[in-house]
Amino acid sequence: MAGVINVTSGSQAILTLGNSSVLAVPGAAGGFSVPLVQDLSLSTAPGTVRYSTLDSTSSSAFTTVVENSVSLNMLVDDDAFFGNSAVTDNTVATNGLWTTSNNKTEVFFSVAFEGTDSGDYYLSGKGFIGGLAPSASIDQAVWISPMEIVVNGDLAKTTLP
Amino acid sequence: MSKRTDLISSITTNLSGHSNFTVSSELPFESGGNPLYLNNMNTVYVNEQQLDVEELYNTLDQGVVNITTTTINAYLATDAKEQFSDIDTVVANLLTAGDILTNAIDATKSYDIDVTDDVITYTFEYNYTTI
Repeated sequence: MAGVINVTSGSQAILTLGNSSVLAVPGAAGGFSVPLVQDLSLSTAPGTVRYSTLDSTSSSAFTTVVENSVSLNMLVDDDAFFGNSAVTDNTVATNGLWTTSNNKTEVFFSVAFEGTDSGDYYLSGKGFIGGLAPSASIDQAVWISPMEIVVNGDLAKTTLP
Repeated sequence: MSKRTDLISSITTNLSGHSNFTVSSELPFESGGNPLYLNNMNTVYVNEQQLDVEELYNTLDQGVVNITTTTINAYLATDAKEQFSDIDTVVANLLTAGDILTNAIDATKSYDIDVTDDVITYTFEYNYTTI
């Protein structure tokens, strides 16, 4: 599908977690799709070092390593946050986001851009869940929490088979 | 039970010590060209509740959380020339009768007064905001 990716249908931008790369593929059986996500951001930030030389009036630069991360805000779903013991094939879903974060367990993840149809693009990797900071207030009415996945290594660009 | 039913029950309780006033479970429809609260003075009539549902949160997987505002009006008409000595207490009790929800984000109660000829009409408005 060429052109702008419209996410308003409710099944396009999907964060899927798993304790294996296979489970973390978008739409995979047993994959843990994080529900009630309000916004989802991917960051790929190459590290750079600037330096100056006597023969140039402009600074130069070279790159170091890339720092990747996924950040999001979500309405807190009790099963997703605290775990669902009925799920037996994906420990991230079984334990929930908080326990997985607290245990510093590495997870596999994917971010689907266009849904789960054949040929749809997604980015995947592995990393650690952090940044959980659930908050509630009477005006806000529901629990809301940010979350971050600190990516360990590269992000891979893939299309669904 | 609807909030209107709860409100009528609460008003009934709060007016139990005021023998000059009663509560009707009927809607304040018009009869003979006048609303019932003008035909039957000193009787509180509670209108049907009105709902206003708006989207509070929407998520990428269309997990919509709505916020609902429920508005209920109640009416009381009484003699403007010779008001009952306990009318102030009755009005105050009608306001506190609106404390029927414990899970509301916001609850407001207010009333307006309209004096026409020798009749004073109190129009109460109860608003409840819930998820």
